[in-house]
Amino acid sequence: MLWYKAWLETRWRFVFMLGSILLLWLAPQFLPFFGFRLPPGVPASRAWLGLHLGSILLYIVVANFLAGSGVNSQTTYAATSGFHGSMLFTLSLPVSRRRLLLVRAGLGAFLTGVLVAVMAGYTLFQRPGGASAFDALEYIARAIACTMAVYALSVLLACVLDEMWQFYAATFCWIAFYLLQSRFAVLAWLSPLRGMSLISYPVTALMPWAPVVASLALAGVFLCTSALVLQRKQY
Amino acid sequence: MNDIIIAADGLSKSYDGKPALRNLRLEVPRGSICGFLGRNGAGKTTTLKLLLGMLRRDSGVIRLFGEPVDSEASSIAARRRLGFVSEDKDLYPFMTVEQTIRFTRPFFPGWRRDLEEKYLDLFQLPRKKAVPKLSKGMRTQLMLLLAMARGAELLMMDEPTSGLDPAMTEDVLQILADLAASDGTTIFFSSHQLAEVEQICDRVCIIDKGQVVVDGVLDDLKSDYRRILLVFEGTPPRELAGLPGVDHLRQRGRTASLLAHGDVDALVSRARELGPGSVEVRPVTLKELFLDHVRGE
Repeated sequence: MLWYKAWLETRWRFVFMLGSILLLWLAPQFLPFFGFRLPPGVPASRAWLGLHLGSILLYIVVANFLAGSGVNSQTTYAATSGFHGSMLFTLSLPVSRRRLLLVRAGLGAFLTGVLVAVMAGYTLFQRPGGASAFDALEYIARAIACTMAVYALSVLLACVLDEMWQFYAATFCWIAFYLLQSRFAVLAWLSPLRGMSLISYPVTALMPWAPVVASLALAGVFLCTSALVLQRKQY
Repeated sequence: MNDIIIAADGLSKSYDGKPALRNLRLEVPRGSICGFLGRNGAGKTTTLKLLLGMLRRDSGVIRLFGEPVDSEASSIAARRRLGFVSEDKDLYPFMTVEQTIRFTRPFFPGWRRDLEEKYLDLFQLPRKKAVPKLSKGMRTQLMLLLAMARGAELLMMDEPTSGLDPAMTEDVLQILADLAASDGTTIFFSSHQLAEVEQICDRVCIIDKGQVVVDGVLDDLKSDYRRILLVFEGTPPRELAGLPGVDHLRQRGRTASLLAHGDVDALVSRARELGPGSVEVRPVTLKELFLDHVRGE
């Protein structure tokens, strides 16, 4: 029944993020009604690139928003007494910490994957010139793979931080990484962020294998570390 | 079947080098209601968390239901047979009463639907109500329901009546006493409320500065300990503190108050030799036992 708890914990977040994504997509459709139009001479592909790169931010927000460790309950962005009390209840159940993590992180990863697939699919759908179904699927799979690195880092942070700080710390880490990748070529080559954006298939028409492999490796390392941290943590 | 449900020996735990538990020894027999008393910071919650595997001990041995608890697997096996009620009584804020029960039920193969229904009706818990909208009393009742319906052999509770009004406190105590009497459930709970401990417990364990200072059957303790009041014409003699059986000595003016145990008659005879003007021997209350031991006089 841990999946049940994980679902009840994340369902409104999932719905909220899905709603936010739909709202962001729908908003541009209504802009002409309010007199907003692309400046003359700006090609549609440029506008599409903006949509594509903008959605990367959403991938990160979604991944951070849906990540959890399974021990610290998540409901609001405030550490309340309920936060700690329910944690003790969880730990008093006859279930291992590894399983708590596995189920919670697994469901969060699945929901993150669904949202990223929706966003990536929409981005490709909007792309001038379109894309083949196979390419679309392959791109979606790679976008999910790259997002998993972001997600797994957030899971690791959820093992040690209260929820509010988990979100901020994860965001801060990726901003720092973004700045570092512009200075170090190796980081840029392996970067999950670039894998999702500038060197992704919709921009380069090439599949970014290095970021995908690096992202999956990072995700594995972060999740294994999360399991170790949770196992050693005292409550 | 092992008759000692909780056994801890040489249990030590420190936080950042500060000892919270020091060589703690604890035994709770099956079927007893044991009150775990101590001041704030005495180590009560730490002990409970160690028993539940939420904290790692620095040293010592824990046995629950007669089995050593020395790994996560053994801790999980023990947790399958016990219920825990935390001090703040907080459950998942994203669940309703019904969802909380539905979530908890599958973890316990011995879950009793009859008890679930019985306590739902008794407590009049609104099944569809979200947990954050429940009063603290209702949350306590829900936690008790979750602990009791699982058919637990042992209930561990951290301040189960904190924050409850007197009527609710009385109800909870009555339910616990009934549970121990009818199902033979062992109940181990920490509390500051000496009156309620005295009301339902047959055993007490008093902890101070991480060590057990009193442990035993409540009636035995009450019959074993005596308060001896001695009034002298001048200052009470210092030898009083060294008399055999004296646990604590308090002096106020010409009066000496001794908390003593063991052969009290022999002690009184020895004390009379020191020439008091009057001697009075009184039974002690749990409150006196507690205060004398934790004040360290």
